[in-house]
Amino acid sequence: MLNKIPKWNLTLFILIISEIIVFGMINPRFWNVTILLNSFNDFISVAIIGFFVTMVVITGGIDISGVSIIGLTSVVTGLLSQVVGINIWVSILCAILIGGLCGLLNGVLIAYGRVQAMVITLGGMLLYSGIAIVLVGLSDVSTYEGISGFPEGFSQIANGEVMGIPNSVILFIVMFFIAYILLHRTRFGRYIYLTGINQNTAEYSGINTKKIIAATYFLSGLSAGIAGVVLTSYLGSARSDYGAEYLMPILTVVVLGGTLITGGKGGVIGTALASIILGFMQIGLQMAGVSTQYIGLATGVLLIVSVAFLGINPDFRFNVRRIFTQKQNIGG
Amino acid sequence: MSRITNIIKLREFRTFIFLILLFVVVGFINSDYLSLQNIDKSLKSSLLYIVLAVGMTFVLLTGNLDISVGGTLGLSAAVSGTILRDGGSVFTAAIAAILIGVVIGLINGFGVIKLKISSFIMTLAILSITRVVQVIYTDGKWVENIPANIKELSNIDIFGINVLTFIVIVGVVFVQVYLSKSRKGRYYNAIGDNVDGAISLGIPVNRYIAYSFVISGICASLAGLIFVSQIGFVSTNAGAGIELTVIAACVLGGVSLVGGIGTVVGAALGAIILTSINSALVYMKVPAFWNDTISGSLLIIIVVVDALLAFNTNKKAKKLRLNARVLQKEA
Repeated sequence: MLNKIPKWNLTLFILIISEIIVFGMINPRFWNVTILLNSFNDFISVAIIGFFVTMVVITGGIDISGVSIIGLTSVVTGLLSQVVGINIWVSILCAILIGGLCGLLNGVLIAYGRVQAMVITLGGMLLYSGIAIVLVGLSDVSTYEGISGFPEGFSQIANGEVMGIPNSVILFIVMFFIAYILLHRTRFGRYIYLTGINQNTAEYSGINTKKIIAATYFLSGLSAGIAGVVLTSYLGSARSDYGAEYLMPILTVVVLGGTLITGGKGGVIGTALASIILGFMQIGLQMAGVSTQYIGLATGVLLIVSVAFLGINPDFRFNVRRIFTQKQNIGG
Repeated sequence: MSRITNIIKLREFRTFIFLILLFVVVGFINSDYLSLQNIDKSLKSSLLYIVLAVGMTFVLLTGNLDISVGGTLGLSAAVSGTILRDGGSVFTAAIAAILIGVVIGLINGFGVIKLKISSFIMTLAILSITRVVQVIYTDGKWVENIPANIKELSNIDIFGINVLTFIVIVGVVFVQVYLSKSRKGRYYNAIGDNVDGAISLGIPVNRYIAYSFVISGICASLAGLIFVSQIGFVSTNAGAGIELTVIAACVLGGVSLVGGIGTVVGAALGAIILTSINSALVYMKVPAFWNDTISGSLLIIIVVVDALLAFNTNKKAKKLRLNARVLQKEA
């Protein structure tokens, strides 16, 4: 049973437990379950995008435009519901769809235009945050205060709770399951892996790899849209610069989760565990009295150490095995 | 004659034409844009990006990526800024800045070569670490009160030409000659084009990848010095987000992110285009909030058109080759 769980995920799980123990010893308030569950609000956006960026990375691409799609959907939600006056739920739907469209544009250009994913999503990042700023600029809304005055029902999305469990935890679990089933339990998910392992082989075996790649970017855009709405609901106002500092955490979560940046290997479970590690670390360091400005140091070191460990590991294991088999040969 | 057609076919030439078109079109709308004064000003404000783009080109040529330049710029600007503020000489400040660049470049190189971390991830992590180090060093405060004579350094004119601009342009030309004409300069292209081939040729691949990161670090720290002398103060988020603009500039100038293709001159032209667009918007009386939208869509359009052009020429070349083979058989 234990053998079936990938070793890396087990390591991540142990890391979470040790984090809880260590931070709890520094500040006993960390052991308060309500505080832990409520801390999900701080990293839910990173986790949601991380799940679907994992898919993009598995196909061998990368998507850095999600950080500005957050701002764009936030602004669109605010403008449609507060300035134009459309029903809040309809405007949320529109905003998420616009996020999806942004992702689709990325995906089509990357898959069918054969352009490097990094370049297109970099251009997309500038473009989408630019559109958000333009929308704010054209509608005479204060850039710093943002659009506020949302109805109570809207702020319940992130701040409410069902049977004592905060909505953000439920949303985390729901999005995790959607991503998990898509990636690990459907044919689409298998195609994603095959595309990432070798796109040519996948193409020859009859998989429409371009469609698969475009679809992953579309999903990533949709998830960024959802993250934007959740963040707007949590913070209570719509601004164009939300999510600007999330690039580093999103990539950390994906890579720390054991997904290879070159594609073909990885999974959503690792991303989920890694996002919890990162989220707990932030809240734990804050509780331990470390200034928020210094948290970048911890995440940076964590990123390097985890990737170095993952990268060196196969070589190391191979060498160990070779030494052992040689010994056996001599002995036999 | 064939030399001229060769120049026209160059990717850099197309970038250059685009830059001229930009100036002409904006000049039609507002003739002030074509004044020598404005061109001089555009060049001056793009110096920072040109220096960064030159360093970035080395890294991109070997097929890697350096996201950490913004952090290196901020840290070296903060350190050299404090030295200058406390009465140190320009020389000490420059040495300190360059040392920082070298150290960060070596760390990046170590991670990419020895720890085998993808350069994107490694430099991204270093970026966030250097940002924190800068905050710790400056205690979260801005570096201000830098002596006025330092600021004057960036404004010295000889025969009406800014000295700093002149130095940077000459530097770009020298680096270009080194990269395209010297034996060792070609190594960078070779590594990016085909690593295995480069190893077979006996090129010390790892050493040259490390060099590329160190060069990028040095360029970033030099850009930090330019930042101090041009702006005159160093905020805690100096150079935030600049790395993406620099990569965009390189891509605009025809440097491939896959490696092996591109020139320093192209990257410098790309940097000038990106900064000129900003000033063009001012002259066209377009509100500043259109900036990102326009540069973003421009980047996407240029890159996609370029990729399609390259794909078509490849297809044509392939067809030509196949036809030639058939003809040979008949004969």
